[in-house]
Amino acid sequence: MNCVRKLLLARELSARRGILRQAALGRDLPWLQGSSCAQCFWPVPVRSIRSSTALSRSELVPSAREDKEKDRGSRDGFLVPFDELFERAHEGDRNKAAFSRAVELFCQRDIRRRGHVEFINAALRKMPEFGVERELDVYNKILDVFPKEVFVPRNYIQRMFNHYPRQQECGIHVLEQMENYGIMPNKQTKFLLLQIFGEKSHPVRKYQRLMYWFPKFKHVNPYPVPAALPRDPVDLARISLQRIAADLSAKVTVYQMPLTDISDAGKEITQPHIVGTQSPDQQELLACHNPARPVFVEGPFPLWLKKTCVYYYVLRGEPLPPEEKEEVIDSERNFYYPMHLDLDLDRDLWDDEEFYVDDVVEGPIFAMCMAGAGDQATLAKWILGLQQTNPILSQTPVVFHLTPGPRERELQAASDSESGEEEIPQSWHAKQEL
Amino acid sequence: MSGLSLLLRAARAAFPAGARQIRTGGLRSAYAKELFLGKLEKEEVFPYPEISNEELEEINQFVGPVEKFFSEEVDSKKIDQDAKIPPETLKGLKNLGLFGMQIPEEYGGLGLSNTMYARLGEIISLDGSVAVTLAAHQAIGLKGILIAGTDEQKAKYLPKLASGEHIAAFCLTEPGSGSDAASIQTRATMSEDGKSFLLNGSKIWISNGGLADIFTVFARTEIVDKDGAKKDKITALIVERAFGGVTNGKPEDKLGIRGSNTCEVHFENTKVPVENVIGEIGGGFKVAMNILNSGRFSMGSASAGMIKKLIEMTAEYACTRKQFNKKLSDFGLIQEKFTLLAVKAYVMESMAYLTAGMMDRPGVPDCSIEAAMVKVFSSEGAWICVSEALQVLGGLGYMKDYPYERYLRDSRILLIFEGTNEILRMYIALTGMQYAGKILTGKIKEMKKGNVGVAMEIFVNKFRDSMGRKVDLGLIGENGVAHPSLEESSKKLEENIYYFGTTVEGLLRRFGKTIVDEQLVLKRVADVSINVYAMTAAISRASRSIGIGLRNHDHEVLLTNIFCTEAYFKNNYAMAELEKYAAENLDDSIKKVAQQVLEKRAYICSHPLERTF
Repeated sequence: MNCVRKLLLARELSARRGILRQAALGRDLPWLQGSSCAQCFWPVPVRSIRSSTALSRSELVPSAREDKEKDRGSRDGFLVPFDELFERAHEGDRNKAAFSRAVELFCQRDIRRRGHVEFINAALRKMPEFGVERELDVYNKILDVFPKEVFVPRNYIQRMFNHYPRQQECGIHVLEQMENYGIMPNKQTKFLLLQIFGEKSHPVRKYQRLMYWFPKFKHVNPYPVPAALPRDPVDLARISLQRIAADLSAKVTVYQMPLTDISDAGKEITQPHIVGTQSPDQQELLACHNPARPVFVEGPFPLWLKKTCVYYYVLRGEPLPPEEKEEVIDSERNFYYPMHLDLDLDRDLWDDEEFYVDDVVEGPIFAMCMAGAGDQATLAKWILGLQQTNPILSQTPVVFHLTPGPRERELQAASDSESGEEEIPQSWHAKQEL
Repeated sequence: MSGLSLLLRAARAAFPAGARQIRTGGLRSAYAKELFLGKLEKEEVFPYPEISNEELEEINQFVGPVEKFFSEEVDSKKIDQDAKIPPETLKGLKNLGLFGMQIPEEYGGLGLSNTMYARLGEIISLDGSVAVTLAAHQAIGLKGILIAGTDEQKAKYLPKLASGEHIAAFCLTEPGSGSDAASIQTRATMSEDGKSFLLNGSKIWISNGGLADIFTVFARTEIVDKDGAKKDKITALIVERAFGGVTNGKPEDKLGIRGSNTCEVHFENTKVPVENVIGEIGGGFKVAMNILNSGRFSMGSASAGMIKKLIEMTAEYACTRKQFNKKLSDFGLIQEKFTLLAVKAYVMESMAYLTAGMMDRPGVPDCSIEAAMVKVFSSEGAWICVSEALQVLGGLGYMKDYPYERYLRDSRILLIFEGTNEILRMYIALTGMQYAGKILTGKIKEMKKGNVGVAMEIFVNKFRDSMGRKVDLGLIGENGVAHPSLEESSKKLEENIYYFGTTVEGLLRRFGKTIVDEQLVLKRVADVSINVYAMTAAISRASRSIGIGLRNHDHEVLLTNIFCTEAYFKNNYAMAELEKYAAENLDDSIKKVAQQVLEKRAYICSHPLERTF
């Protein structure tokens, strides 16, 4: 297959650049001697290939100029034909199948794949539109558009200089887009790149760098966010709360399920969800809280999960006054060994491993919750639910310190915020994603 | 049987009461504590305690029948299988007087000294279930009445307990409370007339819980202290099953000591008269601590007894089974195991009887650290030895048809009960540190203040240490107490003790009172001190054996030298670690790993077959 493809390419190239063949004939290089099949089956086109490679160097300058023209062209709507290709391909939905069809259309249209760099650039731009920006096989398909073998340097001089720079750059673009979306190349990608650009070319180097760093970064986050966040606001709240609480003993309780109902009077009643979390430690802290001192409900505070922002509320107390903070260890506490030594000696400097940090004293946090609405009535229901497991809460004054969150502002703008989450439309931006 | 017991008691009564006391000065025992200062109080441990000929004769009179009873009438296999000690076995034990070994004769007990109690413990330990039943009865169950009870309480309860008519149990552990006094939930509320308490609560894992008639119960009571504030304190109470409201759950199914009865005990509005308070109201904490501290020393002789029996059984096998035309006993790796067994048994025995001897001295010697050391050393030794003995037997040891696997299961509890070994290590190290700290505080403070004289002294000492100091604490040489043939071991012991003292001083300087939180450091401190005490016991005993020409004393010298050499290197390693900072002796890494594992509550490494691309 390979040699057939090579021959086709060779023909194409020789046809395009045949005019200058004579000038280049004298500078043949035995680049294909290793590739035996090409040489023994079809000696004549081999020669034409030789000449064409030689020519490519002589063409460097004009082609660069051409690039500039094309760049200008793209800005002026030169690329419209390729965009049209995509428009034509999606008769129904914009999806992976439609995108693949467009790529196939381009490949079938012209055996010489003329304008493939422009097509690839357009395809990369179109990917998010078709929702295929995270599909590895689509990237491989795009790379497959490149003609094979042609851009592989054949001698050390080609290797030294930037061989087919525009094509190499385009290949790097493809890889960069993969990088930005966090798509790890696979074996096929490597195979294609080697076939297209050859070893030690810039795209292959880029590929190698990706393969060096991506696996290292894959599990670098100790608290990974699931790839697909749940749609259900209650499930989402559950995940988020488990994430903030970071205590395996903490229990998430759904105090109220979301509900939309039509009352008898025909009025629509919506009941926002309330999901809360509390760990046994927090419960203990709250049990020890002096009921004379109020506790506060504060919020909303934002929590970002990838591109989704959710808001949570906390129930907290004031920082303890210093006289209550000191815990006295009862000497009759442990039946077996002394819990503290009656010595007038402190820890030495060298073993004091606590370094100075600017400690900001914060009050204890007793519980956290997420709710479908941030009004006091909803949060009061949460406190009511908490009272069942924390009886002391019914004797403690609860103060609501609520700031109007983005949701409230949104509500004023009469937009829908029932889901309790907010999709921030983010224009795709490379650096921001990583 | 009862006739025999009567005979024994009569024989016992023939000897004057004071004869069992070993009369060697009235010093408060402080051998282990002094070790933390780098001092060797040789008067405490040399010569090795002896008992008089009369006492020896007396104890031997006990040993014979008890041994016979255990070999002929105790069917350990059946006890293990049925998870119950048959009534006739219990009756036999009662007839032998084994339920009142340490109860004074005036209350109908045998009135044995600690040494003699330890001797009988050796035999009783041949069946784990029986040993635990007896220990729960008298080492902890009735110990409260014995050491802190009033004369009325003693007169009322001890006779029946001594005869075994009543069995005692010790009720401290609760579902939410192991060693934490603050989480005891059982409550004793005083009635309005102030004459009785109402007891409510549940206790778990109570040995003899289903058999016992008398319970020593620890409960929370409200106390009005000096300044009028109400406070909850622990009170120890004697509770009879006959008081009503006492129920127990079904016996727990256990890994080992299956024949002993362990169950939950519930008290529901049990009315306990005020006279049944042990010690004073609110003084239960001290009572509990004293009971726990006094019950431990006997585990040394018990483990030693078990290992001695195991050596007999496995040696028989090793000397008869042939492989490749060679007896098992000809293989070096098998021989090594027997040496290990002998060394451990020897050292355990030495420690146990040294401690028992120290406790038998007149006065109120406080040997709680030594007892804890004996418990830690012997329980761990027993576990290793049983496992090694099982290894000698190969597959045979694993079979239920043979008694070996039962020994393994039974001995596992030794590391856990009467204070886990981890807790006891903390006790040993912290008590020693507290003692040394009290004495060294002045010196360390002077040095930290920059007193040139003290600093120079420390520096000069360090310098001399580093130049290879010859430590001489007076074990060998003129006025030496150890036998010259143990010179090498004695020198090693002296060196270990001296450097242990400097290490402890260094630790106090470094950590001060915050050392309570340095458990990894404390563990090493405890290990070194236990080893040092074990070395002392072995050297002391071997010196005596050579001195009076006991049979096979050359064997004892070998065992002592083997143990001392090994322990010396272990101690040196531990002390070298103690001199390093946390980053160098791996403590930091150890803590970090544990923290990461515990945060996720799982093993967190990726699977070896996992890949990222």
